[in-house]
Amino acid sequence: MSVLLPGAAAGADDLPAPDGVTTPAAQPVPLGRSRVVLRRFLRNVPAVVGLALILLVAVGVLVGNAVSPYSATEPDLTAIGQPPSAAHWLGTDQAGTDVFTQLVHGTATSLLVGLVVGVSTPVIAAVYGCVMAYKGGRVDRSMLFVLETLIMAPSFLLVAILMAGRSAGIGVLILVLVVFGWMNTARLVRGLTSSLVQRDYVRAARYSGVRPFLIVWRHLLPNIASLTVLNVTMGIWGAILAEVSYSYIGIGVKPPDVSLGTMLASASQTVDSYPWMFWSPVIALLLITGPLALVNDGLRDAFDPSSGSGGRAR
Amino acid sequence: MTETALTTAERRQADRPVLSVRDLHVRFATENGTVHAVRGLDFDLRPGQVLGIVGESGSGKSATSLAVLQLLADNASVTGEVLLDGKNLLELDDRQMCAHRGKDISIVFQDPLSSLTPVLSVGRQISDALAVHNPGMDKAARRARAVELLDMVGIPSPEERFDAYPHEFSGGMRQRVVIAIAIANNPRVIICDEPTTALDVTIQAQVLDVLQVARRETGAAVVFITHDLGVLAGIADEILVMYAGRGVERGPAEEVYHRPRMPYTMGLLAAVPRVDRADRTALVPIEGSPPNLLSEPVGCSFADRCPLVRPECRTAEPELRPVGRVEGGATHLAACVRSQDVAAGTEEVRAAFRAPEIPAPAEAGVPRQEREVVLAVGGLTKTFTVGGGLLRRRRSGTVHAVDGISFDVRRGECLSLVGESGCGKSSALLEVMEFDPQQPGQIAIGGVPLHGPDGRSPSAADVRRVRRGVQIVFQDSLSAMDPRFTVFDVIAEPLDADGWSRADIRRRVFELLELVGLQTDHVNRFPGQFSGGQRQRIAIARALALNPALVVLDEPVSALDVSIQAGVVNLLDDLRARLGLSYLFVAHDLAVVRHISDQVAVMYLGTVVEHGDVDTVFDDPKHPYTRALLSAIPVPDPTVERNRQRIVLQGGLPSPLQRSTGCRFASRCPVFAALPPAGQERCRTTVPELRSAGPTRVHACHFPDEPIPTTA
Repeated sequence: MSVLLPGAAAGADDLPAPDGVTTPAAQPVPLGRSRVVLRRFLRNVPAVVGLALILLVAVGVLVGNAVSPYSATEPDLTAIGQPPSAAHWLGTDQAGTDVFTQLVHGTATSLLVGLVVGVSTPVIAAVYGCVMAYKGGRVDRSMLFVLETLIMAPSFLLVAILMAGRSAGIGVLILVLVVFGWMNTARLVRGLTSSLVQRDYVRAARYSGVRPFLIVWRHLLPNIASLTVLNVTMGIWGAILAEVSYSYIGIGVKPPDVSLGTMLASASQTVDSYPWMFWSPVIALLLITGPLALVNDGLRDAFDPSSGSGGRAR
Repeated sequence: MTETALTTAERRQADRPVLSVRDLHVRFATENGTVHAVRGLDFDLRPGQVLGIVGESGSGKSATSLAVLQLLADNASVTGEVLLDGKNLLELDDRQMCAHRGKDISIVFQDPLSSLTPVLSVGRQISDALAVHNPGMDKAARRARAVELLDMVGIPSPEERFDAYPHEFSGGMRQRVVIAIAIANNPRVIICDEPTTALDVTIQAQVLDVLQVARRETGAAVVFITHDLGVLAGIADEILVMYAGRGVERGPAEEVYHRPRMPYTMGLLAAVPRVDRADRTALVPIEGSPPNLLSEPVGCSFADRCPLVRPECRTAEPELRPVGRVEGGATHLAACVRSQDVAAGTEEVRAAFRAPEIPAPAEAGVPRQEREVVLAVGGLTKTFTVGGGLLRRRRSGTVHAVDGISFDVRRGECLSLVGESGCGKSSALLEVMEFDPQQPGQIAIGGVPLHGPDGRSPSAADVRRVRRGVQIVFQDSLSAMDPRFTVFDVIAEPLDADGWSRADIRRRVFELLELVGLQTDHVNRFPGQFSGGQRQRIAIARALALNPALVVLDEPVSALDVSIQAGVVNLLDDLRARLGLSYLFVAHDLAVVRHISDQVAVMYLGTVVEHGDVDTVFDDPKHPYTRALLSAIPVPDPTVERNRQRIVLQGGLPSPLQRSTGCRFASRCPVFAALPPAGQERCRTTVPELRSAGPTRVHACHFPDEPIPTTA
């Protein structure tokens, strides 16, 4: 974390120290870390394209919702099982519901689940992991016990049991995904933070009487920010796939609510006769997960000063 | 070996440079722009010669060595000529270069742990180095040669150690293995890039000996790169001083040390404290820090820091030109327009390198026994359990990092703990800072014991109150400050924790910045934007924030360049005198220790073996370990260095897991080795207690007056 200048870490450790102090006028002030990360990210073309695609999908959902004259749940009984046409852009399903409208709603649901789960699990993990690492000793051991119990728990079965027989509502699904989703990250955070706790500046703070909560807040949490950011993109990606999988087998989002998973589930029976019903959610899903992976790669390279794939300064 | 000796003689006769570097430039592309790290360097290396390249961090010395071998990362561009027997190495591609690396030119890096592959045995790594350049050599021959090499670099029982892995060796032994690999193919040139910087002085002395042996055996020329003028004094024939990517002075070692012609070299020599001198005059720091090579310097690159600067220095960068001939035909070159004045030693020159005045402490006149005890430590112990086990915590051993040491620090004095790494000096410091209620020893700060008379542990409020009186400065100033904090936040943190108001904090932070000699308009900068010396000043300001009586200093200057180090040492001296501070100091550089401390405690494997007044201990050491330690420290003076008797200790620290019954030092003790059996029996069975030798010193040795066999 102490590397402010990735150039210096890229193989030339005998460079002069970034020193803007003696003659400030002649010397450029080193860039802040966030600026450097942003620069490196923007230099990575696939990642920028990925980010643009995701934003495009998000805008598409908002605009699509506004332009579509149909309802995602009310069938149009005059058009049952229609292929794509001017009236129904992506056709209709067996019941006569407009696939485009379903897709817009389904994508919105999936993105919502992904966003809420993807953001909240790394945050929970960061706080939990930091407290464990800082406290150490007995607190660490008992918190680790809780964590490992949750990891050991057959989460798939538990989700199935918890979700079975419940009527619709994505709230419960989000809750379940969060409860079973934060442990691995928390363990990573703990490992990273326990080496930070040994750092001299944490010691210095402790020796000058700074209270533990402030030390975690001021010194430890900011240090794992990059890990947390990476986990957010990975978490969104994972949560969307989890939602789709659970919904597909019928224990996630349930009709009449629509998500990409429920659309895939209903279309999977009739791929041959109504291919548009199947391919629309598949392409929508790929348009979300693929770019997310690109963005995640780009962020990882941008954060990692030793990576050459973030582009080299020439 | 006879063959090598012959070729050596032949090469000497030829006296043609084996390696010539001409107008070498190295540029690195970084996020902030192009850094011109080496700017037109020239040197010649004749067979069998040792060229010492000395410079501070950022001077381009390592970039030079890597450029010669073409080992720089892709973001570097190298121009100029590197001629090996007239052939320009810079024109070769990587594959062609491989034919020369390790065969004609080899390199010894600083860190022996990362130079060796952990997954292959050292013997395998040596024979691989042989196999690459000798395809005809069969396995048995390679093994025989590898064992011979291991023996040559002083690895005991090389036949068995052939199959050992790097982790089974100590740091010094690993560096010997690296040297064995470097000389495996009888190279013409060995480049040593700070080969002893990561090692303790006692081990450094061993490795320097091995390098001399290696040079004798192979007849190779050596480029020895270091920041330590002391190390070079004993081994270098010629010195090249680098500053800001250029050579600024070059000449025979004796000339450069005794008659420097460039103010930078003079400054470097004046900034180094001397372990062999008792004088307490302040060191001469070089103000400022090296220029940033992102922009080409206009005029002399040293002009901003030079005490002898003249207007003409700022117009053009001076060339390296001859300033005098020495007997034997060697030339002394310097890049300074004022080298004649420097040579003449005018009053202006002498005044510029005069040490600043440091006020005497108010306590100086008070006898030590009558001064207030700031910190009293009795029976301080720190143990680590080494254990493992899958299900249950099994104890496989206990390391006594600190094994019942006692000392006290009085007002206005500095007590230093010294010893090799692993002797427990830093553990002792941290244990003092920790206020661990489990601590079996007694710690009393300002007369207030940490444990009450009934043995109860102190309350959180008590601890916070006592903490105000003891603060710490760490070795690595960069890791001691949160990179996200501004200087203001860093210094304000202890004040904030102590419940100061915002206005008071502001006032105090500015006061502290002035106290440690920093400009107050730097408060909004981040620690990473400062040089090491300035950062260490910030750390000192933070430590002084709450007006402590005792400052614990954990290697505060060892990460700094000598020119910067002098300024920080002077600041510490000055603050102690002005604020009546006491220091508990840990350093491995005994020259700095001698300069700054009043009392010194020499530690070996967690115990104190000698403790007393610093001049008494340094001038007349009694314990064989202290004697060896002091004799291993290089002195920046070639004349002294070449005539010094040196006690070279055998081996490294023994495993701290085993507690011997008698004297812990016996396994490495040169006195013990020379004793008759009856004496050896006593060392082996009876733990030597600390006993007085004179009024101001105690030591723990049964035979303090035995002579020690030395090597020249």
